Amino acid sequence: MSNTDNTIVHIDGISKSFGKTVALQKLDMKINAGEFVTFLGPSGCGKSTTLRILGGFERPDGGRVLLSGKDVTHLPPNKRKVNMVFQDYALFPHMTVMRNVSFGLELKRMTKDQIAARVDELLSFLELDAFRDRFPDQLSGGQRQRVALARALAPDPELLLLDEPLGALDARLRAQVQVELKDIQRRTGKTFFFVTHDQDEALTMSDRIVVMNQGRVEQDGTPEDLYLRPKSRFVAEFIGDTNLISGEVKHAKDGKVDIDWFGMNVQGRSFDYTPRTGELVTAALRLEKVGFYDKKPETGNAVQGKIVNRVFKGSRTAVDVRVGDVNTAILKAYVDGDVPDDVWLGWDSANMAVLQD
Amino acid sequence: MSTTPKPDAADGIAPGGATRGSDRPTFWGRLTHAGPYRAVTDFVFASTRRQFILLAALPIVWVLFAHLGPILQMIRVSFLDSYPPAVGYTPQFTLDNWASFFKESIFIKPFFRTLMFSLSLTFATLVLIYPVAYFLARHVKRDNQMLLLLMLLIPFWVGEIVRTYAIMILLGNTGAVNLILKTLGLIDRPIPFMFTGFSLSFGIVYLTSLYMLMPLYSALEKIPPTYTEAAADLGAGAWTRFRRVTLPLSLEGISSGCTLVFLISTGLYATPILLGGPSTTLFSQTIAGFFHVAGDKWPTGAAFSTIMLLTALILSGTFMKLIGSLTRGPQK
Amino acid sequence: MTRNTRILMSIVYWAFVVYLFVPLLLMVLMGFKDSNFIGFPIKSWTLDWYIGVFKDSEVVSVFLYSTVIAVTSTLISLTIGTWISVLLAGRSFFGRIIIFGLTILPAVIPGIISAISFRIFANLLGIQTGMFAIIWAHAVHNVPFVVLVVMARLATLPKSHTEAAMDLGADKIVSFFRVTLPYLKPALIGAGVFCMLLSFDDFVRSFFLGGYKPTLPVLIFSKLRSGMSPEINAIATVVLVMTAVMGIWAERSMRRMGKGT
Repeated sequence: MSNTDNTIVHIDGISKSFGKTVALQKLDMKINAGEFVTFLGPSGCGKSTTLRILGGFERPDGGRVLLSGKDVTHLPPNKRKVNMVFQDYALFPHMTVMRNVSFGLELKRMTKDQIAARVDELLSFLELDAFRDRFPDQLSGGQRQRVALARALAPDPELLLLDEPLGALDARLRAQVQVELKDIQRRTGKTFFFVTHDQDEALTMSDRIVVMNQGRVEQDGTPEDLYLRPKSRFVAEFIGDTNLISGEVKHAKDGKVDIDWFGMNVQGRSFDYTPRTGELVTAALRLEKVGFYDKKPETGNAVQGKIVNRVFKGSRTAVDVRVGDVNTAILKAYVDGDVPDDVWLGWDSANMAVLQD
Repeated sequence: MSTTPKPDAADGIAPGGATRGSDRPTFWGRLTHAGPYRAVTDFVFASTRRQFILLAALPIVWVLFAHLGPILQMIRVSFLDSYPPAVGYTPQFTLDNWASFFKESIFIKPFFRTLMFSLSLTFATLVLIYPVAYFLARHVKRDNQMLLLLMLLIPFWVGEIVRTYAIMILLGNTGAVNLILKTLGLIDRPIPFMFTGFSLSFGIVYLTSLYMLMPLYSALEKIPPTYTEAAADLGAGAWTRFRRVTLPLSLEGISSGCTLVFLISTGLYATPILLGGPSTTLFSQTIAGFFHVAGDKWPTGAAFSTIMLLTALILSGTFMKLIGSLTRGPQK
Repeated sequence: MTRNTRILMSIVYWAFVVYLFVPLLLMVLMGFKDSNFIGFPIKSWTLDWYIGVFKDSEVVSVFLYSTVIAVTSTLISLTIGTWISVLLAGRSFFGRIIIFGLTILPAVIPGIISAISFRIFANLLGIQTGMFAIIWAHAVHNVPFVVLVVMARLATLPKSHTEAAMDLGADKIVSFFRVTLPYLKPALIGAGVFCMLLSFDDFVRSFFLGGYKPTLPVLIFSKLRSGMSPEINAIATVVLVMTAVMGIWAERSMRRMGKGT
């Protein structure tokens, strides 16, 4: 092995186009062993193409894929130690759960004893013992998803690919399975490469999220990084609900940036870069980071405003607050209880991230 | 598919782990790791191009040789002055076989009779079968549709000869129809239905009607009932609904049904022999005649077959194109 | 539709059913007639004609001959047809539409012309008329039907199923035999029975390509030409019952395929 670090997958400048549509533009990425990595993005962003290239179902136009230091770019799926949980699970309808799970083991030339032992192990690990002789159409959606997982884990792959495997489940079940899946990943210690367009899923399960847009990586980081410190407008808008605050930089030093926002002075933080004075920047502020006060608060930023619109959302109410003296400055926020129309709003400058674009 | 809980014998992994204690890999494990198998697959799958060539070779050779070959050879023979070739004689190119078609009315008459018969019977079948298909597709409950359709399919599976024979028994001088008419006192002497244009038409419709029913049924069945309901809601009467909604949407079924029936009825051979008479000789009989009599008349038969084939394919092709342009017309 | 047109159409439907079934029923009945003369009325009844069918060694051997031809030609059609379907259902390539057109060609050639062209081609290849020539002609004639049925089924096979097989270590051959073929099973049963029926019932190709030994339809035809007899009715009825049973069985397995995944 050429690599001494923990890298299990090395994506080295891969590109892919379908006709005139560019799916991937020179993607570089390293994935560590045991990581739960999620590729997140809207449809057509290139996340599924990346997954299919890793699985061997597509050949990249350029670049290389290294698995444990070995170049697998041109190997077909059956010659890679990579397995996949398909979006529709792709369970073989004419085989029982047991025979679905043993499919990959048979082709590894394992003996019948070894296969039986491995299948038993996986079925009990995923609590599927009772279903071993059922056919896929006799299972619920959640059970099918676990069978697909068992089948993909059975040959002991170096990398497990998951292609939006929760999309077919209903909302309540999905929340439960998210927790289970993260737990399974932790207990098996496998590297999971998860693809989804659902930000909740990504935030709940991942060790690391890669946000993709138009064939490029927008941002790569931990869920907290992405949520609290988005680098681009795209990431800020794609994940969570956010206020975008634009203005001229009045002063920037040590990551603290003072912005002139419709005549109000607000302070945000910049990460990994320092904007120039006079530059026009945008900062992202999560709705739930805005607090309500009846008098000017001691927080880093404080503005006075008037609630102009309320939308009841069950546990909380989303409000639009007109701030300052100018009509166009609207700040969105969530309130829990009752608040009067005239309020003070306050937030920590650490919660307002200055975007790089 | 799910109702076959038997495991492959080849694998020998019994469900429920009943069979244990085997230290052999399964059939597929042994196969895929066997040396010769690997050698072959490594060769085959080495390049996608090679894979494709190996996959495509058999189908291409088959369709060119077995599907196209006979037709091409038939056309070639139609330009030869003698075939099968006599020993020591090389057949020469000639147009005589084709020319003889236009020279003698004994050939042209059956040709046009066949066309007229096939065309008019196709139309008659359409008119007869459309209500049947409509009834099945629109007025019968989903669950019963299959049953009623299956019932109609049973006679369909019985061959040309058996069904033709059934018609002979029905229409013969001592047949059922004449017996009934006689018993009712409507006739004294049996009506000679057999060996006439009538018995032949009756038989041909009997043979081909289901080839009309199936495409019509599947076209009509695909039209959502909400379409006609919407039309009714907009104030269209029954006739308008049929003419403006149902009929245009079933054109595809009409087109394939008519084409099928037309092509089949032009190609019938046993039926005109058994049900028809001297005045109803069809072109298929003319063609077959060149292959029965002694002597080398094959090239003429080949030429006539080619004429027939071209006419039938051009007519049905034109018809399908016409209907096709209608469907892509103002309705869509 | 109004009530009246509905009633009218149901009358047309049932009239059509009567039209289809009555001739066949009469034919079956006539097989029980205790007389050499075909015609109504039937005054006395007998089972002798039916017993005779199974005793007549010629009929039995012709029956077996037709069955061998039907089974063999069907196996060839299924193999070639499935192979062509896999090629046509795969990724597109230059000339695919031409291959498809040529595949369907035998189905649109009128029967007599198809028979004649096979006869001429057999002569070119030096194939003697007889069993081999008939099997070959039937196999070619049935390939289009297999392709149409199998391609329709293949189109519903999710791409992910074969991808999953490959993902789990199967090459394309293993994936075809373990995933694609089981998925095609109902289509193959349906198409296979349909091919057998087409072959078993075929007259015109068997007639022109047959040698000394007739197939069943050819035998019935030649018996008919020398005069009608209740014996023929009995033979035809046996054919009728067999084909109906096989047809219904095939139809049911095709229906099940529609329901199953």
